[in-house]
Amino acid sequence: MSLSKILGTRVLSVVLAIAFCFGLDAFVTGQLNEYVVRLVMLAGLYVTLSVSLNLINGITGQFSIGHAAFYMVGAYSAGIVSNAIYKTQPLAAPAYMIISMLIGAVFAAIAGLIVGMPSLRLKGDYLAIVTLGFGEIIRIIVLNQNQWGGSYGYAIAPKYQAGWLIWLLAIICIATCRNLLKSAHGLAFLAVREDEIAAQAMGVNVTKTKVVAFIVGAAFAGAAGALFGHMESFINPDLFKMEVSFLVLTMVVLGGSGSITGSVLAGATLFILPELPRIVSFKMSLGLLLSVLVGIGVLVWMNRKFMEKYHEPDKLKRTLVVAGANIGLAVLAVVVGKLLNNIPQFGTTTYDANKIRYMILAVVLLVIMLLKPTGLLGHHEFSWDWVKRVLNRNKAGEASA
Amino acid sequence: MKNGLLQLAACALAVASMSMFAGCKDDAAGGNTTGTSTGTAGSGSEQSGDTIKIGLVVSQNGELRPWGVDCEAGAKLAEKQINDAGGIGGKKVELLIGDSNSKPEEGKSAAAKLASENVIGMIGEVSSGITKQIKTVALEKGIPLVAVGATNPEITQEGQGLISRVCYTDDLQGPVMAVFAYDKGLRKVAIMTDQKQPYSTGLSKTFAEKFKALGGQIVAEEFYQSGENQFSGQLTRVKSKNPDGIFMSGYFTEVGPMARQIRQLGMDKAVLMGGDGWDSSDLVSSGGDAIVGGYFCNHYNDAEDRKEVKDFLEAFKANNNGNLPGTTMGALGYDAAMVVFDSLKRLAAASKEINSKNLAEEIMATENYPGVSGSITLKGTHGDPAKRALVVEVQKTAFVFNKAYEASEVMAR
Amino acid sequence: MDLVLHSVGGLSLDFSTLPQQLVNGLVVGAIYALIALGYTMVYGVLRLINFAHGEVFMLGAYTALLSSWVMGFTPDAISKAFKADHPLTSSPLNLVIMLLVAMAVCAIIGAIIEFFAYRPMRNQSRIAALITAIGVSLFLQYAGQLFLPANPPPSISQEVNPYQKVVSFVLSPAQMNAAGDVIKPQMDITVTVGKIVMLVTVVILMLALTYLVRYTKAGRAMRAASHDFDSASLMGINVNRVVTFTFMLGSALAGAGAMMLATFEGTAMHPFFGLQPGVKAFVAAVLGGIGNIPGAVLGGLLMGLAETLVTWIGFSQYKDAVAFVILILILLVRPGGLLGSNKVEKV
Repeated sequence: MSLSKILGTRVLSVVLAIAFCFGLDAFVTGQLNEYVVRLVMLAGLYVTLSVSLNLINGITGQFSIGHAAFYMVGAYSAGIVSNAIYKTQPLAAPAYMIISMLIGAVFAAIAGLIVGMPSLRLKGDYLAIVTLGFGEIIRIIVLNQNQWGGSYGYAIAPKYQAGWLIWLLAIICIATCRNLLKSAHGLAFLAVREDEIAAQAMGVNVTKTKVVAFIVGAAFAGAAGALFGHMESFINPDLFKMEVSFLVLTMVVLGGSGSITGSVLAGATLFILPELPRIVSFKMSLGLLLSVLVGIGVLVWMNRKFMEKYHEPDKLKRTLVVAGANIGLAVLAVVVGKLLNNIPQFGTTTYDANKIRYMILAVVLLVIMLLKPTGLLGHHEFSWDWVKRVLNRNKAGEASA
Repeated sequence: MKNGLLQLAACALAVASMSMFAGCKDDAAGGNTTGTSTGTAGSGSEQSGDTIKIGLVVSQNGELRPWGVDCEAGAKLAEKQINDAGGIGGKKVELLIGDSNSKPEEGKSAAAKLASENVIGMIGEVSSGITKQIKTVALEKGIPLVAVGATNPEITQEGQGLISRVCYTDDLQGPVMAVFAYDKGLRKVAIMTDQKQPYSTGLSKTFAEKFKALGGQIVAEEFYQSGENQFSGQLTRVKSKNPDGIFMSGYFTEVGPMARQIRQLGMDKAVLMGGDGWDSSDLVSSGGDAIVGGYFCNHYNDAEDRKEVKDFLEAFKANNNGNLPGTTMGALGYDAAMVVFDSLKRLAAASKEINSKNLAEEIMATENYPGVSGSITLKGTHGDPAKRALVVEVQKTAFVFNKAYEASEVMAR
Repeated sequence: MDLVLHSVGGLSLDFSTLPQQLVNGLVVGAIYALIALGYTMVYGVLRLINFAHGEVFMLGAYTALLSSWVMGFTPDAISKAFKADHPLTSSPLNLVIMLLVAMAVCAIIGAIIEFFAYRPMRNQSRIAALITAIGVSLFLQYAGQLFLPANPPPSISQEVNPYQKVVSFVLSPAQMNAAGDVIKPQMDITVTVGKIVMLVTVVILMLALTYLVRYTKAGRAMRAASHDFDSASLMGINVNRVVTFTFMLGSALAGAGAMMLATFEGTAMHPFFGLQPGVKAFVAAVLGGIGNIPGAVLGGLLMGLAETLVTWIGFSQYKDAVAFVILILILLVRPGGLLGSNKVEKV
């Protein structure tokens, strides 16, 4: 590829990214629907969080389960600075928000440095517990600051909701990680993940790599936090509990550790999933709920058995058999559920979608993990090349069979 | 394909077919409106069609669920009663429910979702932290919000005539208990604060301020976070200060075990006191003999001989398989919904247009509404009803009315 | 609450309460240790952080509650008996039954979770197994909220507990000056008989566990599996059975801890209440060196003592944070935990 062509693709992708952000913004604000606007913005934030954690966890292999702490540091530090200087500084809102993002990023990066330090000495679960502990320490310290509102919360002065800025950040984060991976520096990160000692022997500066991963990951989370703080204009420590860290970690692994596109996909999906029952509301009787739960359990078991035992060379036949068995089972589960409804207690107790939406999330999570433990995309990146390769491989497989 | 993508896809297919099959035959399945919004930002919603939509945000999931489901049941009871009586001006009211999952962020999402469905008024949350987030949506959209159990004083400040509540505030509750404690002859009081709950920190603060102003002494303040089970460390510190009374401003889930542990450490004399977070049928079970003889501040009392209370409890029982509300939020949720419906009735009677702006004005003009939790007046009060507060004594089988305080009388002290 | 703290004085070391606080810390730590054992044993065998362990703990408490209801200690029955002036009384036998039922049910739940969720993940990456554990824990929480009595959060009534007598051991009596003012307060330790029973039970359970792991065939198989999973299976050990056994053992201990906490401390139960003890116990297990059984006990006791001592100094609002700070400092000095082995990986 010639230099001009590379430059061309670069410029094109930058233009496309910016166009995407503003297009999204125009689309969303055209809707005038507060809820959709909010979902789009939150999804952008979660994508940033999961991609940045993926850099630490998936790409560098440092087991960090305290990402909410960086998010929190970003939100609070940007908020505190904004409250102090926004009125006296000359910049208008969008330009100021970029500054604010940087402030959040810098403070979170410092936090990342502090957490990254122990990672030089600690490994695996010991590191995990330190990051978790760090998150709790930060939260408890903020909880005890009455000047920051304590448990009630902290109001942040300029309220600024910008979908385009949030998604721009997400895209910058994705681009940074992607370019890092494609560059020679990125190989160092992967080497540290695969084998620290071998990497060291090859001359990789393990210390530097780990700390850089923590700093960069934390900085993006902090920038996201700054935007989140200004978007909500009121934050409290409850927003940054360790459940948030677990959720983001889940996004990373579900998408496939190390896969950036996977993180994006899982970040958006996992965030939207519990919101769906708000949009499509339904009611379920107890009998139906129980039989569907059991049905899903059997479904997972059956599909695992298929994976282990059923090696039909004919692709079409195999697909049909698997799909048929699954649908049959699903229908059976529903029929059993309807029958169960005839038992008085089972039929009359109903739950609406709101009450089971987190159970749905948990079940989906378990099903995906049990059927595809490497995550949705495995270690692969989603790209058209990859799709083509997979298809070709399958064709080749058929031909040889 | 050994990596499971096929199985995953098949599974998704199965679940999809499951939901379709279940959906098309299940008579309980309720369709939903798609949110096509017509209201412009800041002006609230217009009402069209033959139902009047009111939004309700409660915690149907998460740690606050016990309070959330009570509030929901209370509000639904109000909806049922209004609709059974013919609705409002010939129109039915419809309560749309959003789940906040006990999280501020999701509470805001739920409120935004409700706003996008053109509710003309919102009711919600039982917790101050989540209410604060819902408030920002209400202000942006110009939709009136009636908070249920958010007692933090800041909630109604800068409310632009939209934000009100049906409970009293910590500014009343704390001082009431301070005056009560002082009148009981207590002079050295220790405080146990739930650091995680804004409700508790606010209540402890107002209690301490008033109690000191009266001339009492706060000998210790110790902290815990809701979810803890063992408080012996904090309580030993309290014990070493020899308090006459202990003010526990948290929720009953922690207060009950704490009371037991207070007695286990040998503090038999200290009088236990608290706020409305104590109110639950489970308090005596978790607190045991230790909590008996304690006092707390409440909105109403089950045993009260008032028509509203009796009618409410009877109707609630009939509507909920014979169960009484587990916490005080049943009555408050009912009152909040009723205040909104009552305002709608007045709008309909005056044949004014039913929209958010008029509803907000009408809610703020509520005068002497006979609620279960006492008479509610929002006119000229910036959204904080001047309610009386009851102090009740915990006894083995019931909460017994001890003393009633009017706001004016407490503030004058 | 600055206003209160300052008037009381920030740092005041009251040595007369120190012995009491140490006992408090011991009791808190004993429960942490019981839960931490479950984490550490599972980790030792499978290298898996079982995040659903806190939920097993929660289910244990609920089992104890339900079994106490079955034995007739429902709130209704108790208030009826009180009104009829025949208060219910309990015998130690009830407690033993509750303990055994809670342990048995938890063991079964642990085995079920292991079979359905963790066994398929055995050959997968550890982080994938961890996410499955988070999924299981989410599922148990939110399913529990639908199917368990949680509105309002119930608790085991005190009538079940026959050991309510408060005993006080005076270490040194109060000293007064001539005017009758106290110059040195009484130093004593006040506990209920229940707490002593609880501590004794914890010690018995731990001794039983030690015996099991050290001197029985199953324990030997467990140790072998934790040493090297593959070689153990080559030596004719049924590793599936060992793993199931480990899960059952760990879950049973969590169930015992939950039952004792709920009975003696009156904890109000809701489906999310396992989270906090779960995380604390996990921290304790890591502190002691995860995978190491005496380490878990040591870590649990240390966590309990640290928390209580921080409270004793007067920083109850920073209690959890300080516990974590101590943990991090210890880990920086000993990266493998207190008793854990800190093997340097060689190529």
